[in-house]
Amino acid sequence: MWNPYLPLAPRERRILGITSVLAVLLIWAGLSGTGLVGPAKLPTPWAVGSAFLRLCWDADRGESLLGWATVYSSYRVFVAALLVVIVGVPLGVAMGASPRVNAALSPLVDPFRSAPVVALLPVLVLWLGIEEALKITFLFLGAVVYLVPMVRDAIVAVPRVYWISARDLGATPFEAVRLALVPIAMPRIADAVIAAVSIMWTYITVAEYVNATKGLGQLIQNAKRFSAMDQMFVGIFVIIALALVTYQIMTRLKQRLFPWETSI
Amino acid sequence: MTEPVAAPAPAVDPASPAAPAPGAVGAGLIELVDIVQRYPQDGGELTVIDGVTLTFDKPGIQVLLGPSGCGKSTLLRMMGGVRHPGVASPTSGTVNIDGEACHGPHEDVVMVFQRYANRPDLTVEENVRFPFRTKLWRSRIGKAEQDERTEAILEAVGLKDKRSLYPAQLSGGQNQRVALARALVLRPRILLMDEPFGALDAQTREEMQALLIEIWKGFPCQVVFITHDVDEALLLGDRVIILSTQPARIADDFVINEPKPRNGIWLQSSLANELRGRVRQMLHQGAA
Ligand SMILES: Nc1ncnc2c1ncn2[C@@H]1O[C@H](COP(=O)(O)OP(=O)(O)O)[C@@H](O)[C@H]1O
Ligand SMILES: [Mg+2]
Repeated sequence: MWNPYLPLAPRERRILGITSVLAVLLIWAGLSGTGLVGPAKLPTPWAVGSAFLRLCWDADRGESLLGWATVYSSYRVFVAALLVVIVGVPLGVAMGASPRVNAALSPLVDPFRSAPVVALLPVLVLWLGIEEALKITFLFLGAVVYLVPMVRDAIVAVPRVYWISARDLGATPFEAVRLALVPIAMPRIADAVIAAVSIMWTYITVAEYVNATKGLGQLIQNAKRFSAMDQMFVGIFVIIALALVTYQIMTRLKQRLFPWETSI
Repeated sequence: MTEPVAAPAPAVDPASPAAPAPGAVGAGLIELVDIVQRYPQDGGELTVIDGVTLTFDKPGIQVLLGPSGCGKSTLLRMMGGVRHPGVASPTSGTVNIDGEACHGPHEDVVMVFQRYANRPDLTVEENVRFPFRTKLWRSRIGKAEQDERTEAILEAVGLKDKRSLYPAQLSGGQNQRVALARALVLRPRILLMDEPFGALDAQTREEMQALLIEIWKGFPCQVVFITHDVDEALLLGDRVIILSTQPARIADDFVINEPKPRNGIWLQSSLANELRGRVRQMLHQGAA
């Protein structure tokens, strides 16, 4: 009988996953390969495959377009992620630990969770120009408005008894936050950082729309200009793959750093 | 109100650690003066504690016994200096620790909770050493003594071989041992225990009661122990204070001059039966 708690053997899970991916690939190949949908709208999988190889190594130019685009985009996401963590985590902790700070800052942070950060882009261009600062700032803003409330909620979710106990055992209020609330909230804070970085990968194309000279967003833009559907697909797939890889790395790192969390 | 029970054969041995002479050890002094606690409720007010005056000056295990919801935890939190957010506690009256009004966590007072409050992110040993991470205790107790105390208390609670496990990997009884060790590593003069064995199964509870008695001999201090279990009160108490319910007042207050550990057989003795009858009667009157 079916039930929602059914444990699934890893083998069965893998087979089901691979089957559904293969099914989509088959449908795709069927639609494009038989000419049911024209190459201007949907390239064939093998066209995308050969475009991928060409972008990986362009023999005429003697360089890897895809490689450089990946390096630039990753670099931007990395710098923005660093800034988001440095600014967002302390801010979220302060808001979670102090109702006063929260009352003062939440009207500035919370509305932006549902505000279209993308709509801010033209304004940011006016303020920051079109160079690197704009791209990093855009990624930063897009992610930090999610990170800060999540970090705050992670701190607030720590049961009060840990605060009482730490204070009872000699911790000052500041120490109780630093030595008890933050360490206990760390796995959830790490989840927030992981989510923030995932959001950045979805924003990277937008960030690289303006004055695109380097990066995966530029690669997609460029391909669009020359109606090279196959190359656009390559760009999209590479971004998805990079987002998945960063997610996997960060999740592993989280398990390594907080082994106690999984033992609960 | 303190009235020694006429034990058939006075079992008081001044040399016995179960009943040390007053002032023989560094046990703290707790005074509750005219404590009143009211909580806002449905637009009105609920008086939970109504004029409790108590002094704990003899070292030993002082048991506060009362039905669930009568205000025992509220009273203990006051002694621990824990403030409720948004509610004055106590509403009126004063709590004095060693003669000084208590307004917050006191360094000589440590609490043990029913749900242990062990840190999930720290191992057993790290939990026990946690107080030494604070500036207060780091500056007071040198590294060598920290190590020595940690080893001694891990030994005393029998957790030496579990030191690198996380709380989630321990049983309820073992978790409560960790909480006890973490409190006692500070050698507090006052130990406040809020139904510490209430979440344990019957057999583990008995083991923990015996352990508490044994450990107390090595680390004698002023223990205020909350329970709603009459037999637990009789087994552990050097003094038993019975609280009535809604509002809590002191319904009875007596000393048990019997050597410890007391066991299940002692619980069947005529003295124990007499005390049990007395307690049951007081609890009934309080409920009526
Ligand atoms: N912060 C609070 N606000 C309102 N009522 C409270 C609060 N804390 C405790 N109470 C009430 O006070 C009474 C006593 O609670 P408590 O001290 O926990 O009892 P006990 O520990 O004896 O079971 C209960 O009726 C409880 O609902
Ligand atoms: Mg209680």
